Amino acid sequence: MKRLAALALAAALASQSASAQDFGQRRRRLIEKMARVEDARLHYAGIAARLWLREGVPAAERRLRELLEGGISGDMFWMFPMTAIAYLDRGQLSDSTRALIRKSWKTYYPFRGDTENHWLLYYTSMYLMTQMWPEMDGGGWFNGKSSKENMEEARRWIDSWVKLTTTKGQGEYDCTHYIGVYLLPLSYLASWAEDPRMKKQASMMIEWITADFAAEDLHGIYVGAHARTDDRQVVEKWRGVSADFAWLLFGQGKETPPFGGYSLYYALADGPEPPAILRRIATDRARPYTHLEKKRTRNRWRFHDELHGQVYKTTYMTKDYAVSSDQGGVLQPVQQHSWDVTWRVDDPEGVHNTLFSLHPYSGVVELEAYFTFSPDFGTEAVWRSKKTYDSPDKLLGGSPYERIAQSEDALIALYDIPPGTRFPHINGFFSKDLSELAEDASGWILCRGGRTWIAYRPLAPYVWKPIDGGGRRLFSPYLKNGTVVQAASLDEYPDLEAFRKAVRALPLKFRLEPTPHVEFRTLRGKSMDFTYGRTPRINGRPLDYAGWPAFGGPFLHSKAGEPRLEMTHGGVRRVLDFSTLTVREDKVVRTK
Amino acid sequence: MRVLVWFAAAALCAHAEHRLHAVGATTRGWVVGVALLPSGLFVKDAGGAWANAGYRHPLLTGLSWLPGHPETLFLAAGDGVIRVDAEGRWRVLTGETVTELQDISAGAGGMLAFAHTAGFRVSEDEGRTWREISAGLQRRYGKAVRLDRTRKGRIVVGTEDGFYVSTNLGETWRLAGAAGFQAMRVEQSPHEAALWLAVTQKGGIFRSTDGGLTFEATPRDPSAGRNLYDIAFDPADARRIAVCGWGVGVLISEDGGVTWQARNQGLPRPDVWSVAFDPDKPGRLYAGVHEEALYVSEDAGRTWRVEGLPGSIILKMAFVPAGGAR
Repeated sequence: MKRLAALALAAALASQSASAQDFGQRRRRLIEKMARVEDARLHYAGIAARLWLREGVPAAERRLRELLEGGISGDMFWMFPMTAIAYLDRGQLSDSTRALIRKSWKTYYPFRGDTENHWLLYYTSMYLMTQMWPEMDGGGWFNGKSSKENMEEARRWIDSWVKLTTTKGQGEYDCTHYIGVYLLPLSYLASWAEDPRMKKQASMMIEWITADFAAEDLHGIYVGAHARTDDRQVVEKWRGVSADFAWLLFGQGKETPPFGGYSLYYALADGPEPPAILRRIATDRARPYTHLEKKRTRNRWRFHDELHGQVYKTTYMTKDYAVSSDQGGVLQPVQQHSWDVTWRVDDPEGVHNTLFSLHPYSGVVELEAYFTFSPDFGTEAVWRSKKTYDSPDKLLGGSPYERIAQSEDALIALYDIPPGTRFPHINGFFSKDLSELAEDASGWILCRGGRTWIAYRPLAPYVWKPIDGGGRRLFSPYLKNGTVVQAASLDEYPDLEAFRKAVRALPLKFRLEPTPHVEFRTLRGKSMDFTYGRTPRINGRPLDYAGWPAFGGPFLHSKAGEPRLEMTHGGVRRVLDFSTLTVREDKVVRTK
Repeated sequence: MRVLVWFAAAALCAHAEHRLHAVGATTRGWVVGVALLPSGLFVKDAGGAWANAGYRHPLLTGLSWLPGHPETLFLAAGDGVIRVDAEGRWRVLTGETVTELQDISAGAGGMLAFAHTAGFRVSEDEGRTWREISAGLQRRYGKAVRLDRTRKGRIVVGTEDGFYVSTNLGETWRLAGAAGFQAMRVEQSPHEAALWLAVTQKGGIFRSTDGGLTFEATPRDPSAGRNLYDIAFDPADARRIAVCGWGVGVLISEDGGVTWQARNQGLPRPDVWSVAFDPDKPGRLYAGVHEEALYVSEDAGRTWRVEGLPGSIILKMAFVPAGGAR
């Protein structure tokens, strides 16, 4: 315990300059923080941390026995900490405790779940635990399958997921929270899988997902459209696992609690430090850039001919802010976030550094498309764990009645809501942290977030409503509706009047009947022509959805359908090729 | 192991011809993140007590057994087909390519079929191997499936676009009825092989008198616009059938499915997931009422009282013959 007390003191003395530490120091700091939890309150994460440190193990072992004998729950969220404990044991636990762990994989039946991250956690755990106990027959496992059968099944699914993700995109793409439950199991496989092919594949997938984040990372904040986020993170973007990983992997932002402990398990598994090129991609915001991504929807069981729909994502990144969007529609159930403007803040804790609007859609058709819920109990079943799902005030979720077009830092969101739709209005989120908000006579709402000017043009009348936790909600109860948004930096416009003048001068024509339509010339001189339900036109040309890249921008390059990602920065090129499971890094010869 | 205690107890109560089994979950008062309340496979012993047999499982949707072999159960589960043998051992028979099974059916000769989120599969070797039979279906969400107990190769399935029938075990399909409606359940009469009943989401009750080849809407259907979840034929009365659903509670037909009347007196709410007639007690009918309890009626639904399984959602019940090793 003296050692743990010393650890606690050391951690307390460590200042907020932790981000300046190197990756190894940050990893150790995470682990030491978790290990110093008092003995009686230890849970699996703390136990695993002590095993990693080889400190305070007797108390951790007693607590582990209490937890296992006291009743197990959590399904795959129990499997992954137990897998870490089993691999971090390294001879420190007694035979009887090891036998108790072994027995738990027979007496407890963890459910496989219904979501991509559930399955990756489940099958990664099964792969590694059957690797640890390779000779068990079906009597040794809860599901009655032998170690060999379980391992083969796990390998097949993991391989199929890698292939699907690297050719059609991730289903749970760009999640502020769930990024952790992809990096975590992949770090396990990269460290603990004995098969070199599985190890290599996992380490490459870690780079793939980290690169995906890095290109849309604004000082540690995952910007833009997300397959999934939550009610808190959608407004306080720092408060998510992605911010955890930004701090751990890149030393960005502010050290977090950590949320969910996923970064801790990545650290415990000795998850790799990203290659230098990824750190540079995550932090180099010297020049603004547009970055495109193609993803896929969650499995659509009903109402669609194809299992996966396409997601077309656009992100415009600057040193001060980012504007990011998908094309609109329901691409994921319940927790989708379709577009926003996010501005940089130095200390993001408690700051709502984002602005967006949405149609607060709630409908059993959405749930039945993606889940097997019964129509009568589905909404309530969701509502019980996702409290705002069926709220007219909500700020989270996609809508089948929203369509989005983006050109650099200008964005148009159009809404065509059928009569009779539940919650027939638009919610616009205006943060408590905006300043200099002005409702101009021209119809534009002008405001400043950090070093970012934002112009927001509601296309239908609205009123303001207060938001619990601060800020205001723009409430516009019109079925034919829309929003035009333009962002700019304080570097471009020194004060509100200069920005107001520039925005007022932008040509804007729109109509809402019979179908919402906008023609807008952006601050960057681009003409946007967008009709709800039609392909947006930029400078007279329709957006090329057919040619949309899996990754396309100055840093990441990947053709849709090809399991290959090229990263470039500063004269260095790094290529992940999943067809050959090779990584190649070389200098790029610049030609004039 | 709870299951061993259950099997031992079951052996002592062999006077019953059948034992009531139920699959579902206790959901009232449960929140995400905490340990499951009693859930999975429930079995009622001779003394009237319910036991959660085997592992707790959050998503079991159906159960069946091969004709003449009730000692082995096959469960439709969120993670595949689970075989429960006479010793109570569980074995998942499927792999990573199917999820969230919705229904299961067993037939003669070791034949099994299940409905899953992306189609239907059959096995002709008691679940050792499976093959997908959905290729000819445009929309493949599998909600209901029944193998014909008298005609080899005939199978009726329920999709998001009505019921389809195949007479060659899925090689070809044709629409049998309820086009445009989400299918919910299909059952074949134990008395008359040509009589089938099917229920839907908001489309009502459909009836077939030609062995499942065609289904017609029932003309005086009181369930229009409601979602129906289950069907039970009374083993003791060839003309009595029960269906149940949300908002309609329990509907009973005394004329083979031609006319229907609601029988909900004594039920706490008209939201019922499942129904089953007791083959050993004529007139006894069970109903799983949403998050209330399992209810029982001794007069074919005219009056009801609480039976057990408080706070549960029971998705399917079956009276399993008491023979075999159990």
